[in-house]
Order: sequence, then structure tokens, then C-alpha cells
Amino acid sequence: MNWGNPYDWTAVEWQSATWGERFMYIDPYFWSYFGVALALATSIIGASWGIFVTGVSLLGSTVKAPRIRSKNLISVIFCEAVAIYGVIMAIIMIGKVQTIESYPENQMSQCYTTALFGGYSLFWTGVSVGLSNLICGIAVGVTGSGCAIADAQTPETFVKILVVEIFGSALGLFGVIVGIIQCSGASFLKDCL
Amino acid sequence: MSDTDTIEPSAYFFGYIGVASAVVFANLGSSYGATKSGVGICSMGVLKPDLIMKSVIPVVMAGILGIYGMIVGVILQGKVSSITAQSASKQGYAYLSAGLCCGLSSLAAGLSIGIVGDAGVRANAQQDRIFVGMILILIFAEALALYGLIVSLILSQTS
Repeated sequence: MNWGNPYDWTAVEWQSATWGERFMYIDPYFWSYFGVALALATSIIGASWGIFVTGVSLLGSTVKAPRIRSKNLISVIFCEAVAIYGVIMAIIMIGKVQTIESYPENQMSQCYTTALFGGYSLFWTGVSVGLSNLICGIAVGVTGSGCAIADAQTPETFVKILVVEIFGSALGLFGVIVGIIQCSGASFLKDCL
Repeated sequence: MSDTDTIEPSAYFFGYIGVASAVVFANLGSSYGATKSGVGICSMGVLKPDLIMKSVIPVVMAGILGIYGMIVGVILQGKVSSITAQSASKQGYAYLSAGLCCGLSSLAAGLSIGIVGDAGVRANAQQDRIFVGMILILIFAEALALYGLIVSLILSQTS
């Protein structure tokens, strides 16, 4: 879709436009797809951070207490779930972005404004989902690390610290729920309006 | 209606940023994974030389990340060269996003593989029951790069 001059500004208006007005001309598709990339990439950075923080403690503690090895892999699985939240949101967001092929007669500015709304909502969905999953991954990782170390010393503490980890993994879920509501308003329809 | 004659030039700019970022970030992750685990293997191998070949697994898994980056880079390069005029700028941004998804996911996975691999091979030298646990954690870390690859391939199919 070649937007052209959506608000029909004259040359004089272009000369005196503020930066805020020019900011509106950043393509809505850029915002949408960049939101997708942010959602996925930051979620996966969070998941990997959690995996290595937990993995290092798990492997170190298993040297002296080999019995903890299999049970504590659940912390790693919680971190992997954070990455899956990111993938789910990315796929939902990709589904929202369709090609606009045409627009109703003389309604280019409404069409562009609707698309811009969609672009902004997808971008900020990506930010909210991505950052929540980043924080969630770190939280689950640090808690899982403590869980492995405690379990190596005192087996009764495993389940108790696992409860803390479950609370931590709820953070990612909150991000996904808010993200789904946030991107529900975005619509790029084939005939724009 | 929509202009079907001219292709928005910036579409190529953003598309090729996508190609570059897929390859560059994936290779960064791959190299971090290989070097960090490699240092662990070299330290551990001084005292337990028989375990060296088994411990090379994290390095191999990190190497796969570079291949993911190359695959996505090659696929995206073909797509960017054939951007259609109908939705040129949309395609350009989609390919940027695809490249970033694959590259940054592989970077994150490489960080994880490196650090876990380093700790894992050193711990494996002291306790052989750790080997299976280390492999399991490395597989979970590798799967992160795979998720990035999958979403990149979905994004590269935008028309």
C-alpha cells in the first residue's frame, strides 16, 4: 500500500510541520512488524537468561547431590514456557497484519488513521508482552537457581520454593493476557475501513 | 487506489537490514556459545582428557545457531530481491522483523548454550551422572533459537 500524502498537505504545510506531525508519517506497518520482533526477541532473551541462571546452579549442585538432577529440570521448563508465550503472541500479532489493498473513495485520511492506530497498538503490545516475559524469565531463573541449591541441601524445601516459582511464572501470563486485549483493537482490513 | 507502478525504495533498505541482522546476530550467539563452552572444555580436559570428545556437544549445538542465521539470511535475501510493488513497504518491514526475530533469538540461545555448556562440562568431569542433565538443558536452550527460526519463516512468507 503506497500511502502517498494521506492528509493532503500542501508544500507550505510540509515546510512548517512540527516533528510530531512528521512522526505520524512513519509507516504503520513498520510499527506492527517491529512490535512482533520485539515481542518475540525480548521474550526469548528472558527465557534464555532464566535457563542459564538456573542451569548453572542446577549443574553445580548436582555434582554433590546427584538426586536433584531430574526434579529440578522443571525450573528449566518454566523458563521455556516463557519463550512459548512470546511465540504465541508473535503469531497472534502476525495474524492481525493484513495487506490493505484499497480504500473507500475520498477517505484516505480515515484509512491511514485507522492503520496508524493498528500499528501503534501492535508496537506497544510487543513492548508490554516482551518486557513482561523478559522479567518473568529472569525471575523464574533466579528462583529456580535458589530452588536447586536448597534442594541439594534439604529436600523438603523443593516444593516450597517451587510455589514461589509458580508465582513468578504468572508474570508472563499477565503480560500475554494484557497483550491479547491490547492488540484486539488493531485491524488492517483488505478494504481499509 | 493503490499505486502499482513504483516500488517504495526504503523497502529494500529495511529488508536488507533484516538479512544482515539475521546473519550477524546469529553468528554472535554461535560464537559466544562455542567460545564459552570451549574454555570450559579446555580447563576440564587437563585433568580428564577422556571426556573431551563427549564434551564437545555444546560447541556443536552452538554451531547450529550460525546455520539457522544463514538459512534465514539466504531465504530473506531471495524475498527482498523480489519485492512486489503492491505492498512493498509492508514486505520490507516484515523482512526486517523476520531477520531481527531469527538473529536475536539465536543470540539469546547462544548466550544460554555457552554459559550452561561451560558449567556443564566442568561439572560433568566431577560427576558423570550430570551428562544427561546437561544435554537436556542444552536442548531446551537450543529450542529457543528454533522458535525464532519458525517465526522468521512465517514472517518471510508475507506477500
